[in-house]
Amino acid sequence: MIQVFFQYDFLTYSLYTGLMIGFMAPFLGVFLVVRRLSLISDALSHITLSGIAFSLLLGRYYPFFAGLNPLYMGMAFSVGGALFIERLRNVYRYYKELAIPVIMSAGIGAGVVFISLADGFNNDLFNYLFGSVIAIRQSDFQLIGILTIVVSIMIILFYKEWFFLSFDEDQAVVSGIPKRVLHTLFIVMVALVIAASMRVVGILLVSSLMTLPVAAAIRWARGFRQMFVYAVIFGEISVVTGLVSAFHLDVAPGGMIVMVNILILLISLALTKGKQG
Amino acid sequence: MEILQQLTFLERGIIAGLIIGFICPLVGAFLLVRRITIISEALSHITLTGITAGVFLSQAVIWLNFVNPLYTGFLFSLAGSLLVEKLRQIYRHFQELAVPIILSSGIGLSAVLISLAQSSYNEWYSYLFGSIVTVTLNDLFFIMFTGLAALLILGAFYKELLSISFDQEFAETTGISVNRLNFFFAVLVALVISMSMKVVGILLVGAMVTLPVAASIQIAKSFKQVIILGIIFGETAMIAGIALSYYLNIATGGVIVVAGVVILIITNLVKRLTQAGTAAS
Repeated sequence: MIQVFFQYDFLTYSLYTGLMIGFMAPFLGVFLVVRRLSLISDALSHITLSGIAFSLLLGRYYPFFAGLNPLYMGMAFSVGGALFIERLRNVYRYYKELAIPVIMSAGIGAGVVFISLADGFNNDLFNYLFGSVIAIRQSDFQLIGILTIVVSIMIILFYKEWFFLSFDEDQAVVSGIPKRVLHTLFIVMVALVIAASMRVVGILLVSSLMTLPVAAAIRWARGFRQMFVYAVIFGEISVVTGLVSAFHLDVAPGGMIVMVNILILLISLALTKGKQG
Repeated sequence: MEILQQLTFLERGIIAGLIIGFICPLVGAFLLVRRITIISEALSHITLTGITAGVFLSQAVIWLNFVNPLYTGFLFSLAGSLLVEKLRQIYRHFQELAVPIILSSGIGLSAVLISLAQSSYNEWYSYLFGSIVTVTLNDLFFIMFTGLAALLILGAFYKELLSISFDQEFAETTGISVNRLNFFFAVLVALVISMSMKVVGILLVGAMVTLPVAASIQIAKSFKQVIILGIIFGETAMIAGIALSYYLNIATGGVIVVAGVVILIITNLVKRLTQAGTAAS
């Protein structure tokens, strides 16, 4: 089953990329869920779509952008959106939860307009929306590899601070942790991971890789550390089985990865029935 | 009925758009004050699953080929809205997880079904991003019927819904059955989402529900004003979107949403200016 992934270069790339994403997305997802921000990943993935569409549109008119990997523009939009959400939360002081649907709608709306203008309603767009096993190029692989290293370093450096902030924000601020800086740093990393995961999992499904493994892990874990371990294990299982089965069944990998995740979640819910999550 | 049959495809699209532009902000206002606008996103994604399942079934099973995907979409949307409530009870400490779970599973399942159903991608794009030129007479009937049903539910339970939305505990003590009303509300939202889908597109229905009321709440002084202004904004976005998309040849849903965003930005500016004005005087 899996041998074929080592015979062809592009399949090897997508497998390794998938493994990196299967580690990063659930790991950051744990922080997101504990801080009750899980919806932010949906908003950011939608805004990434407008970034990619914008890059495709520019590519039609300026040769410079045609050669540029659309991932960069997607990342830029994603990070911009992440910072903008924080601003919107201040505008709607009484309805803070509005910020996410507003960004989500604006992101996808602008994305659709850009795509229309670029005449991009073709199979390529479907790969962006739902992922693809064969779309990973060497440049994507390298970019995501660098990102994984950066994210890992960040996690090692700031694990304690984020941990503290997630559980007792007031106490953390009192003890002198720079909340704003750390929070912004965290959201920027989430934005980058979302943009990176997009190639394999697809824009519409990235957020599920950040929430579903964590939702299953919550049911099992007895502590915060265990939650990371379970979430990453579930994430990796889903990515590998999803990729392999998607290749053999010729369906969108994003869909298969999510289906495996849901299966894991359902099994977890059934086995841990009666437990308060 | 005969008048309806004589309509051109463009007129059908515009009528459908106007109905949607009226009802979406109406329901959106209730979602807004209950702080669950995000639920419209989850339900729209699960509606996509219903649609893909409908298309897939009509291809795979011959005696099912009369099924209009809009109906399966509605059924899934309804099931999804009930499931969200159930998930909220399971994850009592992480209630907000329910929405992303439903959202992801909805879109994940539809991705698989889309790959399996061997239709051309273009058909899916009109479901995903909306298109006024594909509104058939049947679709128009569906939209009118569901729109009417939504209005009836809203008219019959307006007071109760209002009281639940603003003060659930008070509503309970006055003898309103919260569970029953929540069920009707779920039906209402599911109806609105599945009716809007054909024109605005699944990925953009949430925008139609959220953006007009997000704009109107900035300048409205009462709940009634939120609704009225929301409807005005919704219709404006709809008309501007349809006109622009027709002349510029861009996907309808996208332009409608961008028009909604522009309205939102303008209202924010207006609010800021009036606030600055009162502060200065």
